[in-house]
Amino acid sequence: MQNDTRRKMVEMTGVTKFFGTLRALDDVSLDVYDGEKVVIIGPSGSGKSTLLRSVNKLEEINAGSIVVDGYQINDPKVNINKVREEVGMVFQQFNVFPHKTVLENLTLAQVVVRKRSKKEAEQIAMDLLAKVGITEKANVYPTKLSGGQQQRVAIARALAMQPKLMLFDEPTSALDPEMIGEVLEVMVKLAKEGMTMIVVTHEMGFAREVADRVIFMDYGKILEEGSPEHFFTSPTHERTQQFMRQIL
Amino acid sequence: MAQIDKTKKDPSGGPKKVSIDVGDGAAIPSREDVGLFTAWRVAFFGAIACILYLAFFKPDPYVEILKFLPDGIYVTFKVTVLSIVFALAIGLFTGLGRISKNRFINGAASLYVEVIRGIPLLVQLFYIYYALSKFVNVPDMASAVIAMAVCYGAYMGEIFRAGIQSIPKGQAEAARSLGMTPAQSMFHVILPQAVKTILPPVGNEFVALLKDSSLVSILAVSDLLRRGREYASESFNYFEAYTVIALVYLVITLFLSKLIGIMEEKIRAE
Repeated sequence: MQNDTRRKMVEMTGVTKFFGTLRALDDVSLDVYDGEKVVIIGPSGSGKSTLLRSVNKLEEINAGSIVVDGYQINDPKVNINKVREEVGMVFQQFNVFPHKTVLENLTLAQVVVRKRSKKEAEQIAMDLLAKVGITEKANVYPTKLSGGQQQRVAIARALAMQPKLMLFDEPTSALDPEMIGEVLEVMVKLAKEGMTMIVVTHEMGFAREVADRVIFMDYGKILEEGSPEHFFTSPTHERTQQFMRQIL
Repeated sequence: MAQIDKTKKDPSGGPKKVSIDVGDGAAIPSREDVGLFTAWRVAFFGAIACILYLAFFKPDPYVEILKFLPDGIYVTFKVTVLSIVFALAIGLFTGLGRISKNRFINGAASLYVEVIRGIPLLVQLFYIYYALSKFVNVPDMASAVIAMAVCYGAYMGEIFRAGIQSIPKGQAEAARSLGMTPAQSMFHVILPQAVKTILPPVGNEFVALLKDSSLVSILAVSDLLRRGREYASESFNYFEAYTVIALVYLVITLFLSKLIGIMEEKIRAE
């Protein structure tokens, strides 16, 4: 489990993606190592969500290559479902399954995809619910939960697959301010446990606490990258300086 | 028959809003619509009262007609239920085909919907029963069920499509990001949620199909209408026979509509 070999979890090379004529990603290259926490920041429309979503192929790229956990995911012969089993994703809009209880939200993919027994899946699910602090809501339907609780369910649901990599797509942007803390707390805990994470967020406090590297994107390109401290104290690019002034 | 109107995608990128308007809606009263609710009661109990009145005070020929009909009611139900079951299966496949990214499957499903919706049900019945008899002999009952199921399957397909598309895209993305295949995502995540949207219009199709099943009387299928015709042509009591037939259809249809209305309210309340 040591990182001395610095195994690459994600290796993106020359990734380009168009939406119609809009160049959402413009020749982006980015490596994320095992156990690393990378935070992506940037103005809306800068391509950061698209970059994240291309890592588990929710967006198909037009050029370049993406290798995740050793699999070349743009190769049509690679079974993307196998790769996705190992890559958890948390969405801005939570996307919990409203027709399933909290517990069923966590067990569904374990049983259907991982082929675990119901009992084993429930055991894992209950442990994770304890971890995110909503054990008492196990048999409740998620529509009865607050946004913060729903997002914690969504995180636990992704973790139930025991992924090697977690993607967070603005996980706190749809939350009321008083609920942001409880979600970030779970994410910090996860980071401290050594999970490899790519997080699109504007929460610079979170970035400062856990990020190994911060990446600033604009116009579909990576304009600047460095430690959180670098971004707080001496961002070099003019666009970065402007952006940091706006969000801090 | 149901008409489906899918409004344009919400510009905020939120879930697509889908409303399913139903042409036969007038027969299905909701409690808010007091006028229609009263009309339903007047029609339903009025029709029952008429039947009872005629049976008691004019037993000849009305009791005789009523005795003649249960076989026909049974056949009408049989055609309706069998057709709806097959139509649902066809509808599911058609709906899935209509949203398929595979151009061939999508094209085939769309073509089926357009062709079938463009041909009157009566013509389809004639075609399967009479025209195709040049090549294969399809029994009466089978022709009736095939024609009804194929026809209504096209409408059901549109209901399924609209229902599936009413589920926010994020649900499928969440399912896929957990490693589910498209089929697993459809059957474990999307369809169970779409059922709520799909059920009410399917119920309405059920009522519409029941009424349209009277068309099968032109084949040698002894449904309610045909039994009435048989009686009338023996006794020459056309007025009496068709009056009873109309009243019986009315009672059955209003009763079913009411059931569906109650079911719809329950789904909405959840």
